[in-house]
Amino acid sequence: MELLAFARGQALTFSVAVFVLGVLWRLVGVLALPAWRDFSPPREGSAPNWLSAIRAIFRKMIPHRTFLKEGMFTTVNGYVFHFGLGVVVFLFVPHILFLRSLFGVSWPGLPNGVITGVGALTAGSLLVALAYRLTSPVLKLISRPNDYLSWLLTFLPVATGLAATAHVGPRYETMLALHILSVCAFLIWFPFGKLMHAFLFVLSRGATGIRFGHRGAQL
Amino acid sequence: MKHDDNLAGEMQRRGVSRRAFLKFGSYVASLMALPPSAAEALAEGLAAARRQSVIWLSFQECTGCTESLTRSYAPTLENLIFDFISLDYHETLMAVSGEAAEKAREAAMAANRGKYIVVVDGSVPMKDGGVYATIGGRTNHQILEDTVKDAFAVVAVGTCAAFGGLPRANPNPTGAVPISTLVGGKPLINISGCPPIPEAMTGALAYVLSFGKLPELDHLGRPKAFFGETIHDRCYRRPFYERGEFADGFDDAGARQGFCLYKVGCKGPVTYNSCATMKWNGGVSFPIQSGHGCLGCSEPDFWDQGGFYRPLSTPLGAMGPALAGAALAGAALGVGAALSARSHQKSYLASAEKEKE
Amino acid sequence: MTAKTTGSGVAFDAQGDRADAERRDAAMQAFVRDFARTAAIHMESCLRCGMCANACHFYVTTGDPKYTPINKLRPFEQAYHRHVGPFAPIYRLLGLKSNVSIAMLQEWESLIYDGCTLCGRCTLACPMGIDISELIKEARHGMYRAGLVPDRLELMDRTAKAWGSPASPAEDFADIIRETGEANGVPMNVDLPEADYVVTVAPAELTDHTKALSDVARILNKIGVKWTYSTAGFEASNIGYINGDLPLQEKMTRKIIDNAIAVGAHTLILPECGHAYGAARWEAARWYGKKLPLRIIHMTEFLAETVASGKIKLKKMGETTCFHDPCQLARRGGVTEAPRAVLKALGLDLKEFEDHGELAWCCGGGGGVVSNVRADPLRFKAFSIKRKQVEDAHTQHFVTACGQCRITLALGAKHDKWDQKVESLLEIVADHLED
Repeated sequence: MELLAFARGQALTFSVAVFVLGVLWRLVGVLALPAWRDFSPPREGSAPNWLSAIRAIFRKMIPHRTFLKEGMFTTVNGYVFHFGLGVVVFLFVPHILFLRSLFGVSWPGLPNGVITGVGALTAGSLLVALAYRLTSPVLKLISRPNDYLSWLLTFLPVATGLAATAHVGPRYETMLALHILSVCAFLIWFPFGKLMHAFLFVLSRGATGIRFGHRGAQL
Repeated sequence: MKHDDNLAGEMQRRGVSRRAFLKFGSYVASLMALPPSAAEALAEGLAAARRQSVIWLSFQECTGCTESLTRSYAPTLENLIFDFISLDYHETLMAVSGEAAEKAREAAMAANRGKYIVVVDGSVPMKDGGVYATIGGRTNHQILEDTVKDAFAVVAVGTCAAFGGLPRANPNPTGAVPISTLVGGKPLINISGCPPIPEAMTGALAYVLSFGKLPELDHLGRPKAFFGETIHDRCYRRPFYERGEFADGFDDAGARQGFCLYKVGCKGPVTYNSCATMKWNGGVSFPIQSGHGCLGCSEPDFWDQGGFYRPLSTPLGAMGPALAGAALAGAALGVGAALSARSHQKSYLASAEKEKE
Repeated sequence: MTAKTTGSGVAFDAQGDRADAERRDAAMQAFVRDFARTAAIHMESCLRCGMCANACHFYVTTGDPKYTPINKLRPFEQAYHRHVGPFAPIYRLLGLKSNVSIAMLQEWESLIYDGCTLCGRCTLACPMGIDISELIKEARHGMYRAGLVPDRLELMDRTAKAWGSPASPAEDFADIIRETGEANGVPMNVDLPEADYVVTVAPAELTDHTKALSDVARILNKIGVKWTYSTAGFEASNIGYINGDLPLQEKMTRKIIDNAIAVGAHTLILPECGHAYGAARWEAARWYGKKLPLRIIHMTEFLAETVASGKIKLKKMGETTCFHDPCQLARRGGVTEAPRAVLKALGLDLKEFEDHGELAWCCGGGGGVVSNVRADPLRFKAFSIKRKQVEDAHTQHFVTACGQCRITLALGAKHDKWDQKVESLLEIVADHLED
């Protein structure tokens, strides 16, 4: 109970604070850099920048068919664990209560059986993603410690959450505390590693969308 | 009171049959999830035992534990347990008072050196020399040390004795501590709960009496037989939890349909006790059945878990100020980093211009 | 200027005689200089998913993971995080990102110059939308300042500085124009003091494809506008843009723009050249810090608008063709409709490649790779993709709208002993003008 109180108390407050601090630090640090102003005339009939940015954000959700030939696994598996994480994080009632305590809004959840199933699928998908990273020559070459740490800190909350539900390992309150602590670790690492893509994808796609939109080029 | 006779003889004189002994034995055995063969062993053990001297000390407490024990709706059991033991000292229950009462305690200690059991309810204040609770001019701490010295075992009854309970709740003005921190190496059983389930108290005592040793305990010193599973795992409302059907308040449709009380702060998932199986008042009900979430009263620090109505999965602290500070600091660091990068670029541009000339 | 190899056996060229640390610092500084917001966002965003690998013709045809586009940026990513990123002070403080080593830069020289055509196909494959090819172009700024550039590209750089063009001295330009006009029987305008249209050229047109020079003239004469070539600003291909030599890029850009403004032109026509379009159409205004008082259009756009306006009529060919979209024109320039409209006007039945338009495969020679002889084996490998596309199309013609693509494709065909002509859209149009 002490560990659980620590996890729900100081650990959670600290890690959410680090999360907020880091996210703003990184976003502001990048956005406050000077931008080249583009004085070239836009292609005739091109959309305004904001529209190009939004279009790119959506357009990039699905790869061109030609890139799916080799990238089908990466894409589908990526969708599976992102979808799974989304369902587990946002539709498990205890998680909704956590989010409600932070943001004051709530929504209906799903039955636990569904969550457990999706959680297991997510864990499996993450394991497959890791296996692929460890075996593909391209991924082996370009992967950094950041990638493995980000993987681990995503996997741990899923694994500890499933273990707590299934009463595997230590006593429930200890497992629950470990689950919350693993989320704390996730939150602390989030802004500093590639987990930050959850925010950056908007900027990254948007920026390219603006560049391409200005030129009348297709993304 | 005669102490040299065994219980069987004494009971027989009072008209308690051997059959009643066996019945009690099997009741306790089943309560504590012992194998069937233990029922007889328990009965035999009890029969052969001498009447056990018990000294009951009450410190910083509310007498709820005693109330719970004496108002047990298992009269046979209650009668039996009080027949089995010689309750030589109990402020609330004994007839004598003042010096005579303390004398009785001392006499019992002297007569049963090394054999008596000390039952404690209530925590012990340690701050300021323990002045916050004294009896006859002696602090609880002194009385406890004195009494425990020659005891066979100590039973901490109730969450105050087991874990400090309400007196120890933040900010703990009296410096209250649980009994476990003061009894040195003496065998100790914690029967936590606010109050504990009566059968947990009597069952544990009966076990000690029959087998002359402590029952199997969990990492918090509680008998596994009564504290081995969570309320949540044995809760009759569990199916609603699994289906995602919850009461959002105490008078909404969900509450009326008896849905799970997780959202209104039930601590069942992390509370180890037998309420959901043994229930209270002779098996009539328990808090969740009567529509209120579990408070987690048998767990350490249950007062300080951020409120009884705060769901288990929510943070304990108020995050607002920390987050506002973090947001400001983060934005400032971001601007600082960008400025440093800009000045880096500027100094390069200047040197590049120079090269051009 | 001698070919060397790194400890790991990778060949590299180095210019000048400087200490390693000085080279490294020059690279880092030049790289840091360009770090604006978009590049920083993109440096922050990589997920290491590897999707870019299969978008790259060099990875696909060699199977060597080092050609994974994002890997080509490795030293510059390290530099970004150490010098520019929001956590740079922490990285430096904790020593988490070491300073880039000169050995690393040497090793990466061939990935950044030989192993990338700046075609930008990876940008389209990236789920985060990271504009990898733009980042590699910026990385070249650092490499150039460090004096770590393939010698052939550096040679073109020096030639362009000395001659105003990597192909021919400026003094010879007017003569080449006149001679070409005489040879092809087309009246030419050179160095007119005033004109509405200024036409610029690419190196290939001053050597192999001189017919293009008179073909433009034929069309402009036909529509009867005031136009001219100008010795003061004729070279639109921008080797500075390709090499990462920013001062030269600015110089080359200013030459053609200043000249066009001086003759009072409302339109500057760029030759059939991809990178010329990138450098002039999208980056020229950068050097002026304001909107330019003239239009800058690619030859293909000029042809399309001329055909659309009805000022020229074309003979219908009634044949089949396939079309190679130059990367800088289609994918990175947004010009995909124009060439198709012109092909249609020519009565050519276009059989599209499976990947065309913005998804087109690069010829393999962009970004200076065609001129960088060191990269020949790699380039010939990449050519196999294009060859297969063309063979599968089974058409009578194979057309493109970039001289550099045309040379690359022709060289590839020659190397393969494959008998396939690569035609210029401009030349076909000029050859099919109705009287």
